[in-house]
Amino acid sequence: MQEVLIDIKELSKVYKSSERPSLDSVSFSVLKGEKFGVFGPNGAGKTTLISILCNLLQASSGSVLYHINNQQLNAKSILKSIGFVPQDFAFYPELTPVQNLRYFGSLYEIPKQQLQDKIDFLLSKMGLESVKNKKVQSFSGGMKRRINLAIALINDPEILFLDEPTVGVDVQSKVAIFSILEELNHRGTTIIYTSHHLKEAEDFCDRIVLLDNGEIIAINDMQSLFTENNVQNLEELLIKLTGKTFRD
Amino acid sequence: MKRLLASVVKEGLILINDKVGLLIMFLMPIFLVFVITIVQDSAFRLVNENRFDILVVNKDKGAIGDSLVKMLQNSGNFNVELAPTMSREKIGTETIKRDKLISLLIPSDFSQQIKNNSASVSNMMLSQFEVTEKIDPATFKSKRAEIELFYDPVLQESFRLSLNNSLNNLVNQLETSNMVSQLYIDMGYEDIPTDIRDQMMANQTQIVAAPASVGKASFVPNSTQHNVPAWSIFAMFFMVISLGGNLVKERLTGSFVRLQTIPQAFMLTIFSKIIVYLMVAMTQLFLLFLLGIFVFPLLGLPELEAPAHVLPVIVISLLSAFAAISYALLVGTYAKTQEQANGFGAVSIIIFAAIGGIWVPNFVMPDYMQTIGMISPLHWCLEGFYSLFLKNGSWSDLQGTIIYLILFTLSCQTLTYIKLKLQNYI
Repeated sequence: MQEVLIDIKELSKVYKSSERPSLDSVSFSVLKGEKFGVFGPNGAGKTTLISILCNLLQASSGSVLYHINNQQLNAKSILKSIGFVPQDFAFYPELTPVQNLRYFGSLYEIPKQQLQDKIDFLLSKMGLESVKNKKVQSFSGGMKRRINLAIALINDPEILFLDEPTVGVDVQSKVAIFSILEELNHRGTTIIYTSHHLKEAEDFCDRIVLLDNGEIIAINDMQSLFTENNVQNLEELLIKLTGKTFRD
Repeated sequence: MKRLLASVVKEGLILINDKVGLLIMFLMPIFLVFVITIVQDSAFRLVNENRFDILVVNKDKGAIGDSLVKMLQNSGNFNVELAPTMSREKIGTETIKRDKLISLLIPSDFSQQIKNNSASVSNMMLSQFEVTEKIDPATFKSKRAEIELFYDPVLQESFRLSLNNSLNNLVNQLETSNMVSQLYIDMGYEDIPTDIRDQMMANQTQIVAAPASVGKASFVPNSTQHNVPAWSIFAMFFMVISLGGNLVKERLTGSFVRLQTIPQAFMLTIFSKIIVYLMVAMTQLFLLFLLGIFVFPLLGLPELEAPAHVLPVIVISLLSAFAAISYALLVGTYAKTQEQANGFGAVSIIIFAAIGGIWVPNFVMPDYMQTIGMISPLHWCLEGFYSLFLKNGSWSDLQGTIIYLILFTLSCQTLTYIKLKLQNYI
């Protein structure tokens, strides 16, 4: 049986500007080494959930506990062990890939030689070696997505959070990104993933949680959910469980 | 320490890549300080050293008009062109056509008017001294002598007033001389003796100007001494465009979000920005001071004289830089877009500069504007630098500046901290 990595209990978040909770007593666990997907329509609470898990937001109530190295840690204590790929490009476009990676790597206090080796490895893996000294602002969307991912991997994270990692990229970049993610996962990295690209999510995730109006409406492995709900794919599942009404 | 160094290097690299920001922070103040100093220096020379071209239409039938023309020619302030036959109606157009800044029309009865006034005053005096019979003062009616001045509309009010004063001075000399002469005649002499007339003209009080100073050494106030500190301060505060914009950009892209997921990285980033922009501000000051000291004299401009005490200059420079950086951080934190940060930042600095006395000195402003001007951090920075560069002030003269700048910096930093805390960045 797989170990529990993240234990989420009765997690709620109410924004000051909103009467309705964005997350309403959400409880579930993420297992070590799994590829876990968070899905739902716009406004379901996906970004709020990921933000709390990455310590970007404070929950109104409830708890998040990480079980790392036989220790129970809160979100603030595990920052060194996570990598985060936000939907926006979270780097400095005026700098080169090497400068970006060196800067973010230095913030994790990675020793100099080790950091250089890591930078060389990531640039090679992402197919960015030939442009490593060019400013990122001149890159295509796919190259920017790959450097966005590379920065999140500079600290060898145990848990990788991905928010729409493949928006606006060509099929080659998409294949490359998923290939890297699969490789990471095989090496033991737990991946928590959210996207509106349901087909790629369907192919990638082991287990998913479906959120709607801040509540969990389903959680299980993909195939069990399809069978339980008598649907063929994730898109059908989402429509069946959340309806066709606009949410924003 | 390694993390801080990496952050500082990153900020430095971003700054080097921000070509527009660098131009605004370094080239703009150099250009401004050159242009404004040259313009002000030229204006100063125009008033004090150059001769004004003047067209004189002397219609006077007596001799006093000619005396006035001679005095104008001998004053050294005017290049006189005479046009005795020109009609009054043509003077305006001829002033412009002949490229004169001013024209003077001496009326045909100018001598007569001056003589009448002199006679009235002389009679009154002799009557009061009881040399002649007592006459009721109400019976003395004199008409003020008039000359007309036409001026090119491009001539600024201050120059025109300065010319008016010069002309008034010459006319007063003529009037006094005539009055005393008339007094002599009425007392039975033929005319005022030449030696007394000469003595009277030689006895005019000369005004010797000396700049006030609170210290021992005194600087000669000139356009360089005023402009180099003033525009250096302006340049420092204008870093709001680069630093404020940079902060918004990082906030709007995902960089800040990523930094939040790295332990203590966010505060490190803010701290490294302060270090880099502090270096920028000190470099700006150093460059502009070097220009004032070494380059200005080569261009015929007055040399910047550095104050004797270096430590107060360093302290005021650092406090001014901290105030400028804190203001830029505040604008960058509260602005929602880069355009908002750039627009508001630039406009607010221009307003602060205007009310703070960077463009025109505060003392020429009305009282209420002087009071409003005291909210401007640029005003206090300028007060500090003027104390050092113009008045040779000491620490006690800098107390107000130091207290205000510390309070201003702390207020900006506190408001920035509150906003970042509310946004969950720290």
